[in-house]
Amino acid sequence: MASKVIHAYYNDDDILMQAVKKVKATKHHIEEVYCPFPVHGLDKAMGLAPTRIAITSFMYGCLGLIVSIVMMNYIMIDDWPQDIGGKPSFSYIENMPAFVPIMFELTVFFAAHLMVITFYLRSRLWPFKESENPDPRTTDDHFVMEIEVHGDEKTLMAMLKESGAVEINKVEK
Amino acid sequence: MASHYEAPIRKPLVIGDKSYHDVSVDISAPIEGRASMQWWIVFSIALAALLWGIGAIIYTISTGIGTWGLNKTVNWAWDITNFVWWVGIGHAGTLISAVLLLFRQKWRMAINRSAEAMTIFSVIQAGIFPIIHMGRPWLAYWVVPIPNQFGSLWVNFNSPLLWDVFAISTYLSVSLVFWWTGLLPDFAMIRDRAVKPFQKKIYGLVSFGWTGRAKDWQRFEEVSLVLAGLATPLVLSVHTIVSFDFATSVIPGWHTTIFPPYFVAGAIFSGFAMVQTLLIIMRKVSHLEDYITVQHIELMNIVIMVTGSIVGCAYITELFIAWYSGVEYEQYAFLNRATGPYWWAYLLMMSCNVVSPQIMWFKKIRTSIVVSFIISIVVNVGMWFERFVIIVTSLHRDYLPSSWTMFSPTFVDIGIFIGTIGFFFVLFLLYSRTFPVIAQAEVKSILKASGSKYKKLRDAGKPLYQMPVVKAGKNEVKAAAAPPAKAEGNVSDLLAKLGAFDPSKDKADDLKKVKGIGPKMEKTLNEIGIFTFAQVSRMTNTEYDLLDEITGSFPGRAQRDDWAGQAGKLNKNS
Amino acid sequence: MNGVSLDNVPVIIQPGQAPKTVGLSFGYGRKVGMKEEMQTGVNAYAVYTNFNSVQSVSIEKADGLHEFACIQLQNTLMGRGEIIKETTLEKYTTEDAHEWNPVPVVSLDHQEVPATTVDLWASFDRSIGHHFNMSIDLNACTGCGACVIACHAENNVPVVGKTEVRRSRDMHWLRIDRYYSSEDTFEDDNIKKDEFSGAFESKSGFEEMERSAINPQVAFQPVMCQHCNHAPCETVCPVAATSHSRQGQNHMAYNRCVGTRYCANNCPYKVRRFNWFLYNNNDEFDFHMNNDLGKMVINPDVTVRSRGVIEKCSLCIQMTQKTILDAKRDGRVIEDGEFQTACSNACSNGAIVFGDINNEESKVAELKKEDRMYHLLEAVGTKPNVFYHVKVRNTNEA
Repeated sequence: MASKVIHAYYNDDDILMQAVKKVKATKHHIEEVYCPFPVHGLDKAMGLAPTRIAITSFMYGCLGLIVSIVMMNYIMIDDWPQDIGGKPSFSYIENMPAFVPIMFELTVFFAAHLMVITFYLRSRLWPFKESENPDPRTTDDHFVMEIEVHGDEKTLMAMLKESGAVEINKVEK
Repeated sequence: MASHYEAPIRKPLVIGDKSYHDVSVDISAPIEGRASMQWWIVFSIALAALLWGIGAIIYTISTGIGTWGLNKTVNWAWDITNFVWWVGIGHAGTLISAVLLLFRQKWRMAINRSAEAMTIFSVIQAGIFPIIHMGRPWLAYWVVPIPNQFGSLWVNFNSPLLWDVFAISTYLSVSLVFWWTGLLPDFAMIRDRAVKPFQKKIYGLVSFGWTGRAKDWQRFEEVSLVLAGLATPLVLSVHTIVSFDFATSVIPGWHTTIFPPYFVAGAIFSGFAMVQTLLIIMRKVSHLEDYITVQHIELMNIVIMVTGSIVGCAYITELFIAWYSGVEYEQYAFLNRATGPYWWAYLLMMSCNVVSPQIMWFKKIRTSIVVSFIISIVVNVGMWFERFVIIVTSLHRDYLPSSWTMFSPTFVDIGIFIGTIGFFFVLFLLYSRTFPVIAQAEVKSILKASGSKYKKLRDAGKPLYQMPVVKAGKNEVKAAAAPPAKAEGNVSDLLAKLGAFDPSKDKADDLKKVKGIGPKMEKTLNEIGIFTFAQVSRMTNTEYDLLDEITGSFPGRAQRDDWAGQAGKLNKNS
Repeated sequence: MNGVSLDNVPVIIQPGQAPKTVGLSFGYGRKVGMKEEMQTGVNAYAVYTNFNSVQSVSIEKADGLHEFACIQLQNTLMGRGEIIKETTLEKYTTEDAHEWNPVPVVSLDHQEVPATTVDLWASFDRSIGHHFNMSIDLNACTGCGACVIACHAENNVPVVGKTEVRRSRDMHWLRIDRYYSSEDTFEDDNIKKDEFSGAFESKSGFEEMERSAINPQVAFQPVMCQHCNHAPCETVCPVAATSHSRQGQNHMAYNRCVGTRYCANNCPYKVRRFNWFLYNNNDEFDFHMNNDLGKMVINPDVTVRSRGVIEKCSLCIQMTQKTILDAKRDGRVIEDGEFQTACSNACSNGAIVFGDINNEESKVAELKKEDRMYHLLEAVGTKPNVFYHVKVRNTNEA
């Protein structure tokens, strides 16, 4: 779908924040903002929903804990309960003190790795993925606000200029 | 803005007059520049040590563990000493990046990248030992929970060594992921600055196509926070579990309930010392004095002093408990440790770990770079001996006097240890030449709060930013267009004024050092025929306008950043 | 002596050797029919005349130093009387057993109870089938070493040579610990140690105790794997290569072992042995396992261990299993005395007795109930299946 977007370049995070608030106030839709570093409060100003990735991490952690319990119960108690140093392999709970370290480690393992994998997939990050930032300067010291154009283009341009953009480009997308 | 506020009493963490772009330039400089002679010398030495270590390992695996100095009584010595030592060193990185993140300690940002790199490299060294110390290392995969070929013999989850397998592999992999995720934006910065296609490809590959959308950053920050929250108990658990190898045993001198906190404190202690050693070298070699300041060194010295004191308390507690327990084997084990045939190792451990960091109480000493460097090495020697003392002096005289004996290392023991040191430095040296050694995105995000430039502005009551005067408008639609052909005439005009570049006489300068000139602009300038600072420094407003017309991009930028003035300075310096 | 001279005989000074006497053992210095590596020592028959083993000789000090290959480097017991428990005949006959054979106690609900009765874990049921125990009577043991040789022969224990022994790498599954007292008697050692006050006195005191007395008491103790029911070695093996059998033995699965040696470290008795090198088919160890003739004496019922694995006493499981299978084939009950190990068979004094304690009538079950019975390092809580009997000395006669 071909649509026109405007790329407004800023070179300061404070100016960007003010500009974002201004654009939001005039009911323009901000497609995206590309930043070289995290700008605190930007997501709220843009109206982005809070991320739920921490919740997924908690669930992955629970999964890891369950996996570790099921695995050790099967290996040490069900499949072949041995007499190892006289430790009570009669039931999971009796032998559990020896299993606590691995229950913890697997919880962390699952929570951390699955969360990161989720993050990579959701943010579309993987080897051989082409980057999509519109200008190489957005990883250095420039911020780019991408705004969809519909309606009065002129006033939008004027407003962006006033808001402190150092450069404004119109791009077909 | 409120979020950039920081109490004026706090000293700036980034010194020098740094803007966001300066940070990018400074951090990519070691990667884009050429390796110095020193780098090659140190790298060759490290590589030679690594090769020697590989030789010693091959000899061990092909001949048997008998090539080491072990015996029926002392079944572990240098192997597990080295293992615990390296794991211990590997604790500082995650601690700095995770625990200090949770405590919102901004000073971590200058050192966390390298500390994490060090963590990963030292855990790799540590991981070598549990494998090669096995009598049959080719069967090492039996420690992962898979059944034997008949189907019912699994691993033994009661064994602390198996806990180690899970702890170390979780720690290594989570640290790696934590580190790499933090690296993505920085790799992306280098990718976007890269000029050579090969570099662009490689950094494009390792940056996983990082784009820097607002949503990505939101997730990135959340992921960092959660990973820090996970890594904090993880880092504490790892050395706790390593200490279980000893604490859950029945050998006097090993069977000690104080071991988990004592080992963790010792790990932080030795890890910070190693970070100190490496960073003092790196800030000098890679010219990062503005980011790794004396304040950073001082703060790390304080951590070293505090953890050294904790370790000292643990040593004394051990002695007290041995006496208080009333168990004769326990009492003898500690008496033997301090006064037996290995008294010299105990003395080294005590003086290096407990006494030497105490001089850090004096501000003059803890802000001295030379003394910090020496102490950091002394501490690591001491920590190696701590593990040697725990392992060997406990084993060599345990319960039945009939088995008492001594341990002395062979050249193979020594060779493998030196080999891992070589391997560690090979990895670290390669890292320092190819990775962004400072988390530049994070540093940029604290620049306004903690950079000396902005602190001065704030103190003077000036705003932290200035609204740019925009000349935009005339070039709106030309976005990524190439320099238009009609500009040919302008080019010759421009060069006439600036002086032509003669490749046979002059040397091209790195124009990217000028604030405002990125790799793209440098390329454009080079296409026009501008290669040196001298040429740029001759530019005036007319030339700027000419240039704007030719390039058709970045209008007004050159004036704003005063390219000529900057180039003049750079020209003098070079 | 008599014109015969032996050159360069290495000399080691033994505690208790009477002044102006030297001892030289028969049986060494053979050259014929022996491999070069095994031609060791000096032939004492050169000075043997008139069938009299006591001869007068003159000795002269020669140059040079010889490093003896000793199994045991520490000769005194360091006042650790509970390792070899001793008493006098007088005490034994007149006093209660807990006076001369005290059991370690712990406080449970503010009451002192024997340490072995307190347990964190529920126990495994060991009442079904056989449960092997071994009894070693320290009174009967003379330290002759026949059991060590029998064990080597039965279990294919490798001979590793002097160089390895000098590095403390002997492979004995069963060894005989020999201790000298540092004071006049072991009892004096214990008293001396108990009366140390303060760290400095302990330090100098223990240093003195490392040296044996000029005329010491001597004690022997055969030590092999104690087959602990709560074995510290078993819990630490990451690959479950060593675990406990229902018959009380501590098993070692050689082909599962990856060789971390954690078990050997964690053994309070230091009875586990590691194959530092390949000891068979290896020219570096050209003893009986490196040639066809030598290999013919290898016991086919026992695995020859490869490099990189731990090995240790199995309580001759190949012998007990054969006994069980023979009886099963014959359809009969196993008599007491049928179960034997190589060492118990070899012991001419009856110091080592082996059997099934689930058989109430067996000799070993009786011996276990005796007053003199104690476990080695009982306070560690390993619950061994090997037990010792207190040595009783008749000091009045001497």
